[in-house]
Amino acid sequence: MSVAAPSERGVAHVRSERWVPALATLLALLLVAAAAEVVIDGSAGLSPLIPKSPQIAGWLSGVGERLGYRVFLIALLVSSGAYLGLIVIAGRSGRVADGADGAEPRYVGGVVSKRWAIALVAALQLIVFAGPILISTDVFSYIAYARMAVEHGLNPYTHGPIAIHHDPIFRYVGRDWDRVATAYGPLYTLLSYPLAPLGVVGALWGMKLEALLASAGTLALTWRCARARGLDPVLAILVLGANPLYALYALGGAHNDLIMMLAMMAAVSLMVVGTPSRRREAGAAMWVVAGALIKATVAVLLPFMILSKRSLAPVLGAAAAVALGAVIGYAAFGIHGIDVVAALNRDAAFVSSDSFATEIAHLLGKPGVFPVDHDLLKAALVLIIVHLLWRTWRGYDWVAASGWALLAISVTSTWLLAWYILWPLPLAVVTRDRRLLVATLCVQALFVIHQTSPLLAPVQ
Amino acid sequence: MSATAASAPRRRDTGTVRAIETTVLVIVGVILAIATVNDVGRQVQNNHRLIADLRTWRQYTGHDYRNISIDSETLGLDSEREILCGNTTPGPPGARTQVCLAIWGPTVNGVRTVHAGWYLPPRVEDLRVHRYGCFGSGLRGMCAR
Repeated sequence: MSVAAPSERGVAHVRSERWVPALATLLALLLVAAAAEVVIDGSAGLSPLIPKSPQIAGWLSGVGERLGYRVFLIALLVSSGAYLGLIVIAGRSGRVADGADGAEPRYVGGVVSKRWAIALVAALQLIVFAGPILISTDVFSYIAYARMAVEHGLNPYTHGPIAIHHDPIFRYVGRDWDRVATAYGPLYTLLSYPLAPLGVVGALWGMKLEALLASAGTLALTWRCARARGLDPVLAILVLGANPLYALYALGGAHNDLIMMLAMMAAVSLMVVGTPSRRREAGAAMWVVAGALIKATVAVLLPFMILSKRSLAPVLGAAAAVALGAVIGYAAFGIHGIDVVAALNRDAAFVSSDSFATEIAHLLGKPGVFPVDHDLLKAALVLIIVHLLWRTWRGYDWVAASGWALLAISVTSTWLLAWYILWPLPLAVVTRDRRLLVATLCVQALFVIHQTSPLLAPVQ
Repeated sequence: MSATAASAPRRRDTGTVRAIETTVLVIVGVILAIATVNDVGRQVQNNHRLIADLRTWRQYTGHDYRNISIDSETLGLDSEREILCGNTTPGPPGARTQVCLAIWGPTVNGVRTVHAGWYLPPRVEDLRVHRYGCFGSGLRGMCAR
């Protein structure tokens, strides 16, 4: 922890009382303790929050007790509270100095130092990395799709994991997904191929390492983008890396959304860091397409990027990447490998109890979401995107517009999962429109509140 | 007109749009918050009912088993009528002969009323064709035998 002296002219004066560093340290310790509690108790196995999995964190299994909803939800609430407190402290004390002679504004530090923030975020990521798979069975589906193709010669775009029911991975695939073909992009499927021959445990660690590296890359790029835009990079990586949903749900479940977010931030970084050039614009568009070939959602950035630049370079970059991706996808998986629309339509029909659509249906006295509601939500999403495109045309920051679009996709989706409401977060911390960050964190807070009913009335 | 003078109305427009957007965002946020809190209340109410159902099953059968399946859909989603099935002797879930109870009505002293019930052979789903030894009068036609 360091307290910087207010020595530069033009620096906004911030009064740091003596208790602020101590409070920040306490909040950081609470975050670390909550993550450690979940990981250690999760390692004991036999928990509804830990999917059936090979013992990959057996060395921790004798330390904790079985992870129940009560402990998990208390840990989630404690870490959410600590996280909010920490970012309020970092946000109030982080300072950006005016650049001399028209140069870019420069971050000069605050109560929370760069080294301290990086150490906290790294500790959280490593604690979660060392533990078992948390909450979701998705990672087993990823491995199953890879093994279907590499070990069994089956096309994961035409078969569900049930086709390899004799394979050791099958028993770990979620029952809801065992007949569902992959909805992920061909680039992601091909990226997962090298892990298939490693066996179930080897592939699982490979997936966890992939998620950790993607997270580290996303955080590094977020830092660069925030600094380039004259925003507080320490606050940016704290908001993203210390986020409980990011650490426990996205990284804990080794979700491929982290790889998609890495591609997204690579694109943003090319656009906002360094001297603008057509080459960088084309490269950024290519990264967006690469991200969409992992998970299609990120494609929503492309129109905002193109509209803000109003040049041919990103269009050509995107077209080249789409053509290349289509050729590779078709060669590897046939027409089903590049039929993104069919996969999106199929997934759009799913309904989860955590979605805001379901909550509003309950509020209106309906048992759930009806087919007409899907159409209404799609129409609302189209209206929001059109408005954001118009705003971008009129000069609004395309990064913020993209973040709003991703937030709108998650809020209007009938299939909402914790890691979906993380999509806009890296964009929200590198844009000056703080409404996006507030809105994203409010949506995340509502998601967390929605999880708390087992705490209020535990069923045994 | 100078560039500065021309950009002034544009800035005013942007300010108005921003104010409208913020208002819409606040309204949407309030609706989502109300829906979330309402849903948590609904889940808590459901959980209280399920707790009463589990207690009813254990009291009725005299078995303090943990693994009891609860079906809230067969008798109507949102009907607050449940079917609870559990083993009649100790064993893994569904591995022994099961007794199922159809439960509904208000919670009185922490339990609800058992209106009907039946038995199921081990390792079968609760389908009409598998049910036998039906008792109670609440659900005519639910049993094949």
